[in-house]
Amino acid sequence: MIEVEGLSRLYGSRLAVNDLSFRVEPGEIVGFLGPNGAGKSTTLRMLTGYLAPSSGEIQIDGIDAVRSSIRARERMGYMPEGVPLYREMRVREYLRHRAHLKRVPDVGEAVDRCLELAGVADARTRIVGQLSKGYRQRVGLAEALVADPPILILDEPTSGLDPNQVRQFRELVRSFGGKKTVLLSTHILSEVEAVCDRVIIIREGEKVADLAPGDSETSLEEVFAELTTAGAAQEAS
Amino acid sequence: MRSAWVVLKRELASFFVSPLAYVVLTSWLVWNGVWFWMLTEFYARNAVSSGASTPLSGFFGGSALFFIPLLVFVPVLTMRLVAGEKQAGTIETLMTAPVSETSVILGKYAASMVIWCVLWVPTLIYAWIMSQHGSVDWGAVTASYFGIFCLGTYFMAVGLLMSVLAPTQIVAAVLAFVTLGVLFTVGIGEFVLDGAAREVCAYVSMLGHMQSFAKGVIDTRYLVFDLSLAILAVGLSIGAMKARRHG
Repeated sequence: MIEVEGLSRLYGSRLAVNDLSFRVEPGEIVGFLGPNGAGKSTTLRMLTGYLAPSSGEIQIDGIDAVRSSIRARERMGYMPEGVPLYREMRVREYLRHRAHLKRVPDVGEAVDRCLELAGVADARTRIVGQLSKGYRQRVGLAEALVADPPILILDEPTSGLDPNQVRQFRELVRSFGGKKTVLLSTHILSEVEAVCDRVIIIREGEKVADLAPGDSETSLEEVFAELTTAGAAQEAS
Repeated sequence: MRSAWVVLKRELASFFVSPLAYVVLTSWLVWNGVWFWMLTEFYARNAVSSGASTPLSGFFGGSALFFIPLLVFVPVLTMRLVAGEKQAGTIETLMTAPVSETSVILGKYAASMVIWCVLWVPTLIYAWIMSQHGSVDWGAVTASYFGIFCLGTYFMAVGLLMSVLAPTQIVAAVLAFVTLGVLFTVGIGEFVLDGAAREVCAYVSMLGHMQSFAKGVIDTRYLVFDLSLAILAVGLSIGAMKARRHG
């Protein structure tokens, strides 16, 4: 479970995230939607402990993620935007390293399992830097899964994947439904409709909607366009 | 501390598959080999004026030639430690794993000290060569390597700190080069200044440090200086890593 209360983040004097509050229930798959620069990545970075919030509370499975960051991080698998990886390492070697870092008890078994899940078992002995973008993306996903965490935070997980890989990825995420709590950011609306139970839309660091994709009579695309551009137009006028 | 060990292992594994490692190690050995050959030639041609001076003591404590490659190679070896992770973006995966800033910094620092030792191990052959052709003062050799190790504790710590502070590897390398270069130059002040300033310069002096150890004299003042600076730089690195989350 993820509980966020009054979360704000300043970069210098610029307010990137402003008084954001939301919950993700256990086993729920939630899409985190917003135009570029809306504060999605900043929010996810605060959830995962990469950035400290300027103010506000984050609870990860009841653990205060601001004060007990390391204990909270143990419960999360995180795939950052752009999927940074150690390019000089081999896939299996990299995953073993990450499993050790995450104090996984049975490293060999964990690595084999996440290689299978992410569909990169055939690339296990290859060097990360020589893989295609789609493969690297899936190595990043395997890394997020290696410690079998109850919570997954995925920042634009399907960018760079081809249509088949996108479909496989969506099936995989859907299979987590009820078992893992997933928060995934994206600006691909069809992705949200395909995999998410609920969607949170943010604009300029503020939450503007929290709804189930089927809730509204109009399509998600229209809702998104209305929420993320109408306000801006109003402000401009 | 188990995390520090995991970080250390990865750091070394990545270093020894990088071309940089072999470029640095090779140039380092070529430089030192030539330098040592010149010293032996010099001592073979000239009657030794002071009885305590040998090619080995000349090598370890003889001149600035000993320090020039160090001032360049140390920044090159340490620049990647943290700045490399920032450039590649892997700092984000590293710092969202359940590891503390302290473990990460200590792991990387320990890795840099291993690399420092790897740099020096091949030079043991010079001592062996000398022992084949004359007598070697093994006490002085041991003291020399001990002095080098102590020097390394703060060289690598300064490099690490600059790598934490700098946004890119090249900036980290330049900052480390400038810092070590300033420390080296201040040490030279030992030969040109008087009074209290001279005392301060002598205390900082890398040259004086190595000259003392090369003679087999372990001067605790130098040890205190080396270790204080090392601890300060590593401590500041940990602090700067923690501050990064708020930046």
